[in-house]
Amino acid sequence: MSSIIEELQSTVKKLLEDGTVGYVIGWGATRFPDRTTPVFITRPEDAHKLVWNHYCVNGTAKYALDDRYPEKKIGIIIRGCDSRAVNRMIQDNQLKRENLYLIGIPCDGKENPVCEGCQHKNPLVYDVLIGTPVEEKINPDRFKEVAEFEKLSQDEKYEYWAKQYDKCIHCYACRNVCPACNCKECYADQYRVGWQGKQNNRNSNQVYGLTRAFHVGDRCIECGECERVCPMGLPIMRQTKKMLKDINDLFGDYECGLNDSRPHVLGEFDLQDRDEFM
Amino acid sequence: MSVKRDENWEPQILAFCCNWCTYTGADLAGLNRMKYPENVRVVRVPCSSRVNPQFILRAFQKGCDGVLVCGCHPGDCHYATGNYFTRRRFMLMQRLLEYNGIDPKRFQARWISGSEAAKFRDTVTRVSQEIKELGPNKKFQEEWYSEGGAGNE
Amino acid sequence: MQLKKTDLTGALKILAADASVFVPGEIEGIKRFVLWDGESDVDLGGANTQLPPKDILFPCTEKMYNYKMGDSIEIKEIVEKPRQVIFGIRPCDMRSIDCMDHVFLEKGFVDSYYSRKRENVTLIAMGCTTPERTCFCDSMGLDPNNAPNADVMMNDGGDTLVLEAYTEKGKAVLEALNGLLSEGGQAKKDTACTLKVNMTPELPEKLAGMFDHPIWDEVTRACIGCATCTYVCPTCYCFDIDSDNHGAEGTKFRCWDSCMFSDYTRMAGGHDPRPTKKERVRNRYMHKLSYFHERYGQHLCVGCGRCVEKCPAHMDITMFIDKAAEV
Repeated sequence: MSSIIEELQSTVKKLLEDGTVGYVIGWGATRFPDRTTPVFITRPEDAHKLVWNHYCVNGTAKYALDDRYPEKKIGIIIRGCDSRAVNRMIQDNQLKRENLYLIGIPCDGKENPVCEGCQHKNPLVYDVLIGTPVEEKINPDRFKEVAEFEKLSQDEKYEYWAKQYDKCIHCYACRNVCPACNCKECYADQYRVGWQGKQNNRNSNQVYGLTRAFHVGDRCIECGECERVCPMGLPIMRQTKKMLKDINDLFGDYECGLNDSRPHVLGEFDLQDRDEFM
Repeated sequence: MSVKRDENWEPQILAFCCNWCTYTGADLAGLNRMKYPENVRVVRVPCSSRVNPQFILRAFQKGCDGVLVCGCHPGDCHYATGNYFTRRRFMLMQRLLEYNGIDPKRFQARWISGSEAAKFRDTVTRVSQEIKELGPNKKFQEEWYSEGGAGNE
Repeated sequence: MQLKKTDLTGALKILAADASVFVPGEIEGIKRFVLWDGESDVDLGGANTQLPPKDILFPCTEKMYNYKMGDSIEIKEIVEKPRQVIFGIRPCDMRSIDCMDHVFLEKGFVDSYYSRKRENVTLIAMGCTTPERTCFCDSMGLDPNNAPNADVMMNDGGDTLVLEAYTEKGKAVLEALNGLLSEGGQAKKDTACTLKVNMTPELPEKLAGMFDHPIWDEVTRACIGCATCTYVCPTCYCFDIDSDNHGAEGTKFRCWDSCMFSDYTRMAGGHDPRPTKKERVRNRYMHKLSYFHERYGQHLCVGCGRCVEKCPAHMDITMFIDKAAEV
């Protein structure tokens, strides 16, 4: 691990010194050893502030949206999930690949339950790779939780979600951290349009949850950030995974963000799609 | 969830109808003096793919007991491909709603062309009957409606 | 006076006879203040609640009045004066109520919705015995063992809770509980936070002069612009007023708002004086550590550590304080 950190730091230092990138987004230390925070390294001599350990859980890619027209390339240290996030945002026309310099780093799973089911530990796209690729495996239980939940009765399902959404505090962390939630203005912020009021009650939380699930469901890269950041511990991925499960059942194998070319499922169609509405 | 059954209760159903096919079909049903349940309210949309999934949630929020989306048969879309998107979108939406506790009968989609007045009548009659059997919908309803408005404290 | 811990449920029953009693509890995995159900055991130890008790006095969404427009406008105010008891509230959260009192009751502005609830609440505080690693209240000038503005102060005395009444309301509580109380009782009052922060007395004034300091570029970049910190904060009191409109009638309500949101300072016409997260985070930190101090003479941060614990980006106000003290 230590040699990877050294390689990472020296690569970043070199990139900053030769002016390839304007700054690099990575992880830095906090007060607590089991927690890291995103850092932005602008000077070569600060490269030693970068860390790489079991607790680098934060997604780095979305910070690139804060700087859509950079003078120099933005360096981003990316794991497998971050590389899919980059693809997601390039595909959504939010980022330009030529504005990014991607420092890939294979990831063996972090302090985050979602990592256990990860199928893409190695970055799918990068300009330079630190370390060597790790072994990846197909997760047979990708939709197990969803399949279990589907067995409940309608009223049980409704009660379950109602209790969960009663906890929601409208902080919108799930939206703000999500690489697929990249609308210039979220529908939930358009108070005057009236989709979503500012009041916090069960109904508005349910509708927000469901609307967001549908908005991102077919573009979800399964990074699990929404669930990680939720201060109230809502099982947000359980909604988007349901969308993905149905997409896989109805329209064939599908995973988002593996490249930056395939359109998302609801943005394309096939004449041979199943028809249930005859 | 026990719902008190009122014998006189009639469901409120919202039907989004595509301007080019289903709306014309509904019009033809009217011209032919066909009788269909009056608890269906028709909203004309330029294409079935105009219907945003949020419209459906909104309808349930505002107290509808069922929602119907109708458009041209695949291949007949006035805009060539609109209803192919509808097809994908609402197959997923129906399943997601079911996953959240809404009976799939409460949200249905159908292809009804401009000449299919009888199909429009039959669809609407059947949907209305199905929803009547399910009873009033309280799920996803705004507090305002579930509590009975300002008069209720 | 002391109360045996085995008599706690009995004491709560007496309190619950004529008031809603809120105790630390858990709903769906989230530790928060819950309405006591009349029988459950209450655990006053362990980590502090994940959500502050502020929504008992300042609800997350509070209906103000119903209206109906016809030939004339009918307005029906919703007046609630619930008798409430908050049981087991810790000194950090007690200080936050002190801060809210400043805002909602002082300087000639009395908020009737808040004051009606405040007048009818009895605050039974519990000295903290289990500070978390993110707790730093003693650095912010609090004593984790004592809450001066409580009605009754409780401290842990082993098998008993040692009670002391600070106000008339508190004396009434002890009188009501008289049958369960006995004389004496020695409480341990030696809790201290492990996290020490360099909160110097000069910092509020120093920060006031640091508005354009480059430190803000650095400390605000990781922010994702969500409202977690403000909604788990016991002292964040900003609110918005809006209406839930249904044709010619509806409800006016007020609800929590957050200075982290992009529309918080946006004006009619679209101008936003705090256009990016830098300005927003700066405002939050300045408000906590400088602006409020200037106006009311105390910090708006009580050191409960909830924002440190919950921030999705792991931003840390304590690191900022230490950094700001050094520059």
